[in-house]
Amino acid sequence: MWEHRCKVAVSGVGFSRVTRSAEVPLAAHALEAVKGAVAESGLSLSDIDGLATYPELPATGHAVVDGITIVSVNCMMAMLKLPNLSWHVQVETVNIGGAVQQAVNALLAGVCTYAVVWRAMHNPRGTYQNLPGTHAQGASQFTAPYGFGGPGQGMAVAYTRWLERHNQNREKMATLAVTQRRHSHKNPHAYFHEVPLTREDYLNSRMVAYPFCLYDCDIPVQGAVAIVLTTADRARDLRPRPAYIAGYGQRLAFEVAGRIGSLSSYMEGGKSSARLTWERSGFTPHDVDVAQIYDGFSASVIYGLESYGFCKEGEALDFIQDGRMELSGELPLNTFGGSLSTGRIHGLWHIIEGALQASGRAGERQVADVNVSFVGASAPIVQGTTFIFVREPY
Amino acid sequence: MTMSDWSKVTRPIPVPNEWTKPFWDAAKQGVLALQRCQACGHFQHPPYATCVSCMATDLKFEPVTGTGAIYAYTIMYHAGDRRFAAAIPYASIIVELDDAPGALLAGNLLEAPCTEAKVGRRVEVVFQPLNDDITLPQFRLARDARSA
Repeated sequence: MWEHRCKVAVSGVGFSRVTRSAEVPLAAHALEAVKGAVAESGLSLSDIDGLATYPELPATGHAVVDGITIVSVNCMMAMLKLPNLSWHVQVETVNIGGAVQQAVNALLAGVCTYAVVWRAMHNPRGTYQNLPGTHAQGASQFTAPYGFGGPGQGMAVAYTRWLERHNQNREKMATLAVTQRRHSHKNPHAYFHEVPLTREDYLNSRMVAYPFCLYDCDIPVQGAVAIVLTTADRARDLRPRPAYIAGYGQRLAFEVAGRIGSLSSYMEGGKSSARLTWERSGFTPHDVDVAQIYDGFSASVIYGLESYGFCKEGEALDFIQDGRMELSGELPLNTFGGSLSTGRIHGLWHIIEGALQASGRAGERQVADVNVSFVGASAPIVQGTTFIFVREPY
Repeated sequence: MTMSDWSKVTRPIPVPNEWTKPFWDAAKQGVLALQRCQACGHFQHPPYATCVSCMATDLKFEPVTGTGAIYAYTIMYHAGDRRFAAAIPYASIIVELDDAPGALLAGNLLEAPCTEAKVGRRVEVVFQPLNDDITLPQFRLARDARSA
């Protein structure tokens, strides 16, 4: 087991307004979320001495403007002018989970004491994947000429492979979309908080990239979320009950650029990240009381459930049936609504919910008797990271 | 089911680079050639700096038989990529060649309704010139799969 398990914890969390498109600059959303997390911790900005984010906008073909389309560490530093800032980082390879892990490491190293991590996401005007180019450079020269335009199709091809190799039926995914939507009715920050979704809505919705229909894809939104991380002894003195980080992992495999569709690559990425997390924490999938698994596209949940070890390969769509993923089920799943219901903010919201469930702070949607709370914060091969939060240090 | 109408699609034109030029040079001649490790014999695609199997750097392009099976596919119904809007719905497929297990080639399923795309279905390469310099390898159902 990891000698540093439970030595760092999540304290306060913060949310901005989530809107369909940009009404105010993205920096204002990020600021709202960061201030919210600091205030909920009972801290002031002068206490914050660490900053970390992953700023990428996953849309293509749009100009990058710091403060408008992304919120970088530099942008946050310029806004906050933190008098005691002593450490910051902006990660590239493993999305926002990597930023959280770097902050954990910085706290363990003693180079900062209260770190804020935020994820801000912009929804550009017009087509999300804006692909007007007449030529295909680099790795895209083998995919773009065939109409592989965006990440959804890369995920969709692996999904057909999974469905047909395992003789499965995409209609079973309705359970995921509908149950998560019901969970989101208990999450006032979710974009679809008040919008119902029925099984019939799912089954009758328009196809986007088969096997993905509209409700298999998270909706692009404008918004931000943030957390305060600190050492366990400091966290115990703050207002919120801490969620202790018992272990984490990151994917140790990656795919050659331009090679898409490989289902085994998703599995390899998820297995490597989960193995580190189980080994460091000492837990197994059977010990987990509640799970958040990244769902930017619904099929990521399949790859997550199987590669992390919650069920066997080919069985994930059967695993989520019969009430298992309900708040009272055997493995309550994406209890905040997931990205499919909150909107596209990437995995920091999954991390927040994992922490809230571990510390008993999830309100109406709190799962009973949670001690071990699991998070898979990105698609396993793409930018996968995994975490375990616990209620009680051990 | 009608066939996808590719006539109004303006495909982005591949720009060969030092790794990929031999692939496009061969395609222009109607030959499918993949990067092969001269140390361990492993075929790979897309081209890469090293052999992804044994890390050797001695890699050469060698012709392969253009037959294989659909490894995975998606059918696009969404006109998000406006260059392809006129063709929806269309099948974008990933093919694993008989000669090159593990090498995954993208293509479209041509000469058949897009709903004919299924994992495991046999396909064969056809060549589709885009301009004087670039010819795209594409796929259609193999003869035995067509009659099935």
